[in-house]
Amino acid sequence: MTTNSKNTISPESKITKRDFWKVFTRSCTLDSAWNYERQQHLMYCYMMIPVLKRVYGDDKEKMAAALQRHMEFMACTPHIVTLLCGITGAMEEENAKNPNFDATSISAVRTSLMGPMAGVGDSFFWGTLLTIAVGIGVSFAKEGSILGPILFLAIINVPGFAARFYCLKAGFGYGVRFFSDMSATGVIEKITKAVSIVGLMAIGAMVATQVSFSITYKIGVVSGAGEPIQNYIDQIMPAFMPLVLFGVMYWLLGKNIKTTWILVAVIIISCLGVFLGILG
Amino acid sequence: MLVTQTILIGILYFISQMDGFFGTSLIGRAIIMGPLTGLIMGDVASGVMIGGTLELAFIGAVSIGAYDPPDVASGTILGTAFAIKAGAGPEVAIAMGLPVSTIMQTVIAIAWGLLPTLFMHRADAFAEKGDAKGVSRNMFVAGFAPIVAVFWIVPAAYYFGSDAVVNLLGNIPEFITTGMDIAAGIIPAIGFAMLAEMIMNKKVAPFFFLGFFLIQYFGIGTTAVAIFAVIIAIVIVQLSSNQPQTKQEEDGFDDF
Repeated sequence: MTTNSKNTISPESKITKRDFWKVFTRSCTLDSAWNYERQQHLMYCYMMIPVLKRVYGDDKEKMAAALQRHMEFMACTPHIVTLLCGITGAMEEENAKNPNFDATSISAVRTSLMGPMAGVGDSFFWGTLLTIAVGIGVSFAKEGSILGPILFLAIINVPGFAARFYCLKAGFGYGVRFFSDMSATGVIEKITKAVSIVGLMAIGAMVATQVSFSITYKIGVVSGAGEPIQNYIDQIMPAFMPLVLFGVMYWLLGKNIKTTWILVAVIIISCLGVFLGILG
Repeated sequence: MLVTQTILIGILYFISQMDGFFGTSLIGRAIIMGPLTGLIMGDVASGVMIGGTLELAFIGAVSIGAYDPPDVASGTILGTAFAIKAGAGPEVAIAMGLPVSTIMQTVIAIAWGLLPTLFMHRADAFAEKGDAKGVSRNMFVAGFAPIVAVFWIVPAAYYFGSDAVVNLLGNIPEFITTGMDIAAGIIPAIGFAMLAEMIMNKKVAPFFFLGFFLIQYFGIGTTAVAIFAVIIAIVIVQLSSNQPQTKQEEDGFDDF
């Protein structure tokens, strides 16, 4: 296989643009054969294979060592895992070129970066972006508009696949320097903070629009014509109940109560409330 | 008719379970599965509405690390299919869908606990020999084995449960359907609390209330809040970075 510098990702690298796209495509399988023991390890290794084949060629011994290295535990956000792929890929290439390179540093980088990366990635994709996608998607879907599901998929996947691409590019480009540069300028903390702000505002908005609850039980001076309790609550603050409910749920989760039990309790209390005429 | 629907439901559920192969693009979520089930049942509009309602009920169901979320796809598909068949609304779909998702979650956890492990250790042996093809092959088998092992439960439940469930849905006492309707308004709060837990800390907590009250007192929509949120986040991050900017030199990419 001939590799001229035009088809490689950078003049100094042996890794071709085709390898780049192979890794990109393979990164889409990261959540497939998930397992309790090492989570995403099989897919991470699968993803690295095009790079490993390119840099180690027919050297079975080094290939075996590299495959085993990437079969170690892996847990990361799938949309940005390509950053780590690029970084470890660049390191594998260095390892193939330089006999003094310490291969254990690849495992070290892999292990130490996946946690912080998953922290940023999970809060961005599953905390913030998912909330926004659900918020916008559901507001259309509840009206019966097909735009709901379409917008939902677009809001998650356009940034998702863009992140996958740019992370892989950045990973290969910077190699191991990437994260030391990032933490030096405090970029990680800034991104985390910005993401948390957007996410929490979106969650606040969703609590106000999508959680509903009202107490229809009437209280009055004498029996008979009274006003539902809800009318009094609404005078103090509309959507007070959704806020209280959110607070209760947050508190319960903080007590490590399983969500399934909370769910069952909510259903029983709702049905019982209707049965007793307090709700409805 | 029933046979065609059963087959299509089987295919739909199988695809939903393959989300991990498609870049975790969330095709298995309720808001997507609802309309597609509606298409199979011949009522897309109801499917879209039911999917939207179920999506809120399931918003906290995100798989992070080793947390097993309820199986959203099976609950949505069966809930939507039975609700449309019985001519009922989203509250019935929730009453059906939530238990189905919880039961399937257990079944799936067992299948995923046992099957991938088998092929994983075979993949380890191939890695030791430096055989990349063997690793890849076992990864695919490990990914498909648990899906093949459990996916048929959903179409089977549709096929055999159809008449019984539709009959049952017709006889549910009213306080339960009304109760489920009320529960459907409360359940999203659990999901939002789970999401908030993931990103909440003392420094940013006020922004939750900002989002909440922007909607309450200004009546702007969720999209508008999201736009303002992005602007506020950018401004705040820029204001807080008052340390001198250390410009990175672009001195070649590949030397460490």
